[in-house]
Amino acid sequence: MKMTPGLLRVQDNMAPGRITGEGFLGDDNRALTDIIQADEETVAALGMDWEIISGKLQSLLDQGKHGLGNPVTIQKKWLITVHETRGHLPCPFGDGLYRKHTAEVEHLPTKTRFHFSELSLHLLKAHHFLQGRGSSFRLEPGLLKKVSEWTN
Amino acid sequence: MDITFLTGPVTAGLISALLALIITLVDRMVNNYGMVKITINNGHKTVNVKGGSPLLFSLAEEGIFIPSACGGKGTCGTCKVKVQTDIGIHLPTEIPLLQKNEIEENIRLACQVKVKKDIEISIPEDLFAIQQFKTTIASIADVTHDIKEVYVKLMEPGTISFKAGQYAQLIIPPYGKIRETSQRAYSMLSAPADSGRLGFLIRLVPGGIATTYVHTILKEGDTLDVVAPVGEFMLHDSNDIMLCIAGGSGMAPLHSIIYDMVDKGKTNREVWFFFGARNLKELFYIDRFSELEKSWPGFHFIPALSEPLPDDNWKGETGLITEVLDRFLKTRISTEAPKEGYLCGSPGMIDACIRVLINHNIKEENIYFDKFA
Repeated sequence: MKMTPGLLRVQDNMAPGRITGEGFLGDDNRALTDIIQADEETVAALGMDWEIISGKLQSLLDQGKHGLGNPVTIQKKWLITVHETRGHLPCPFGDGLYRKHTAEVEHLPTKTRFHFSELSLHLLKAHHFLQGRGSSFRLEPGLLKKVSEWTN
Repeated sequence: MDITFLTGPVTAGLISALLALIITLVDRMVNNYGMVKITINNGHKTVNVKGGSPLLFSLAEEGIFIPSACGGKGTCGTCKVKVQTDIGIHLPTEIPLLQKNEIEENIRLACQVKVKKDIEISIPEDLFAIQQFKTTIASIADVTHDIKEVYVKLMEPGTISFKAGQYAQLIIPPYGKIRETSQRAYSMLSAPADSGRLGFLIRLVPGGIATTYVHTILKEGDTLDVVAPVGEFMLHDSNDIMLCIAGGSGMAPLHSIIYDMVDKGKTNREVWFFFGARNLKELFYIDRFSELEKSWPGFHFIPALSEPLPDDNWKGETGLITEVLDRFLKTRISTEAPKEGYLCGSPGMIDACIRVLINHNIKEENIYFDKFA
């Protein structure tokens, strides 16, 4: 997939220190389009739907907010803490501002832990961007598949 | 030797070098703003700075620190200043973080506005009291599995004057993948009487730049720069019943306020301190507040667990802190006496608590909060 000047600007926005200190790409040296394309292929191969998985993550985030900053147990299956800090983060694609809400999630039966933010949820839903390898907010398609199954 | 084959590449190289030189010279001429004057509060103070840099950083270099929770990234919307000269329309990066009336009053985000010509601004006078301190880490201790209590010893200047409830900005140096200095705001845990050091409670946030640094890298004896004091969350002078509500690291400013009251002998007020946690291992400072209840008859510490474990053998209050607060306002606390709310925690928790307090006829203007937890 070709990197247009617009996408080059987006990739530049994802560098460390531009929007977040760590950036969105981790130590992934691939072009942004290659990262997205590879994850789209994996997600399709796993039989997942972007809308459905983003809806499931959104539901976990919303339920976690009921803990008012403290961890909350959902259906004896999930332990979710939603951390909120002041301010907003702009999407590196330039289509919105997102509150600094980060959900820290543990799937209790398997002790699987992961976290995501409102912005990373938007990146997943609107841009099919799961972040670069090595980014602490990367959502691996394999993990998303499990989350999808665990929330059925 | 025939070297005519080099003519083309050499010519191209010379043209490229000439173009680069022209671009550099034009850039210097166009973007060289020289020295510019910033006039603050109608001439109360003027500073001369090199033009072209964001107002936030230009002022900081002159020792004037505008509060900023994100350290100038344009994401928190905290560094608002009123600009009294025409510096052009608001930038797209400012508009989402400003209210309509603020835009009309030419309030600008100091981190986004570049100082390219002489400008006049107005800022609250108390911002002149904010200083940058060099400190060393005196102690770091776990108070829960994800909250550390950090005390810094002030080195230069060696003491600080602040009001209980205010916060400081910790300046986090580059580390690991983080290539830039970052600033994050944390409320003071210590009371003002302890003027040679500052305490903080820092909860680990996934991916958090400052919290990861504090929890994984910072150690006793390290140096850390701190900008303080900042903020308007503080005790209001009245005899109203105080309803203090916090969760997690939101404990810090209320701890500071309560121990400042003790230090100043202001223990004639009735204080109810509601502190929420999930289970017993996430509660902390229980012993010290239980001791305080013995010496301060009007002080009541109400820890509440939302999900106590069987092993906790918890006999205290249970439920979300909002539910416990509501119960006490209905059954234990005078409905007639005037009350003030002092809240610190996540924005969601604060918003939920404000709704409960308003439902119990506590006026919104008597509810004070700090969302920097």
